[in-house]
Amino acid sequence: MTAQGLVDGVTGFVRSLLELLGRFVLLAALLLRGAVRRRWAAGELWRQMYHVGNRSALFVMVTLGFIGMVLVFQTCLQINRVTGDLSQVGAEFAKILVHEFGPSLTAMMLATRVGAGIAAEVGSMVVTEQVDALAMCGVEPVEYLLAPRFTATLLMTGLLTVFGVAAALGMGALTAYQSFHVSPDVFFNFSKVQYGDLLTGGIKCLCYGGAIPLVSGFCGFATSGGSEGVGWATTRAVVASSFVVIVLDFLISGVAMFTLQAG
Amino acid sequence: MISFVGSLFLSLLRGAGGAVMELCRQLGGMTMLCGYVLASLVRGRCDRRELLRNLYKMGVVSVPIVAMTAFFTGGIMVIQSGIFVRRFSAYGLLGWGAGFAVFREVGPILIGLMFSGRVGANNTAELGTMAVTEQIDGLRALAIDPIPFLIAPRVLAMVISLFCLLVLGDAIAIGGGMILGKLLLGVEYSSFFASFAENVKLWDLMVGLIKGIFFAFSIALTSSHYGLSVRGGAVGVGRAVNDAVVAAALTIMISDNLLTLVLR
Repeated sequence: MTAQGLVDGVTGFVRSLLELLGRFVLLAALLLRGAVRRRWAAGELWRQMYHVGNRSALFVMVTLGFIGMVLVFQTCLQINRVTGDLSQVGAEFAKILVHEFGPSLTAMMLATRVGAGIAAEVGSMVVTEQVDALAMCGVEPVEYLLAPRFTATLLMTGLLTVFGVAAALGMGALTAYQSFHVSPDVFFNFSKVQYGDLLTGGIKCLCYGGAIPLVSGFCGFATSGGSEGVGWATTRAVVASSFVVIVLDFLISGVAMFTLQAG
Repeated sequence: MISFVGSLFLSLLRGAGGAVMELCRQLGGMTMLCGYVLASLVRGRCDRRELLRNLYKMGVVSVPIVAMTAFFTGGIMVIQSGIFVRRFSAYGLLGWGAGFAVFREVGPILIGLMFSGRVGANNTAELGTMAVTEQIDGLRALAIDPIPFLIAPRVLAMVISLFCLLVLGDAIAIGGGMILGKLLLGVEYSSFFASFAENVKLWDLMVGLIKGIFFAFSIALTSSHYGLSVRGGAVGVGRAVNDAVVAAALTIMISDNLLTLVLR
């Protein structure tokens, strides 16, 4: 490749990256304005909250329950190998569940369930030109379609995390009792859960709940070209929103470690 | 009042019955598909060119996203074990904690979920598009069995690629953990590596890789099943992709639980 070709390639890449970033910021601004103005049909928010919350509750509880079983099992196995003192497992498990695994794994599950759903719905509306029809009627599509989904996901992520943590704790207690004879009285111990943990978990829930619909809505509105395009958009939404969850988890945990849990 | 309670009970029963029937239908479809795929793989009927194409598309192209996921996974594990490490000032245990958690549980699950989102969803979309544009019926009309030609290479390619990606991802996660442990907690590379190499056994790595094989197989089956049974245009494809990733996440979690009990 010649030097000129290399320069052209780099500038083209940077330009497309900037274009993507600009579109993303524009969508985010429209979305925030829409969420503040709340100009959606009556009952639309309740419908979306039902779709995001109630329809995902079983899925989140089943997956988080299994995760709770696995985590407790592995931890007890390791501790048995080293000290054999299993009395603190429940307390530490509750702590790490509240500030790390509860919000993050719930959000990973919601990224596949809700994120893919938003991208699939919006994407199929884009390819069947329903979004263009909305715009022609003078309705801002982002505000009309995405803002209620955004608000619903923002509200329901925290609630679903509570359910997920409860399921994980319950199944964890069952595993500890079944396989390692730790009585539930000892296992259910919330003395190690501090305000900092609750705050970290809450901030994580809010950030994930905002990021998932934003990213997957962006992927949905960028759909082009028939049923194959819808499939591509959905795939991209799942990957992007899961990745955003992992990166946000890393960033928020890092900040929390240096500010809240210092010492 | 009684009739109201009765009708509520009936509708509840009807809903539960419908859900169970739907579950049985999907599970039955996946079991049939599993049988067909295994039969054609055992007989060595698997299109080689399609296999190579899918290995590239699923394995090589997924390397960047898996590498980034693995790096952040290592970082998250270091931060989380760092809380304990600082409390007990047990800096020598960081490599053990991060390595064990990444190899056995967190690595396979997070990379598996990412793989399901990237490759599984893509597979459903591709097969679903073929189904709604009647290309699969076209194959059958040409007397080409879609199982050995389309599905078996995809299943095999997913198992091979997730296995290789897990090896790569584990290495990157440990490397990322080492770098971030030095930057965030000030743990020297040598002490991280020493505690890692001393305490993490080959078996821990093997457990993760065996899990990866099962995860890849279940992702392949669910995504192919939902892709092949798409009905109704672009809307159907989107919904199928959504259902496929949800089903893959569920099977990953359930099989992880079972495998943890079996592989101690």
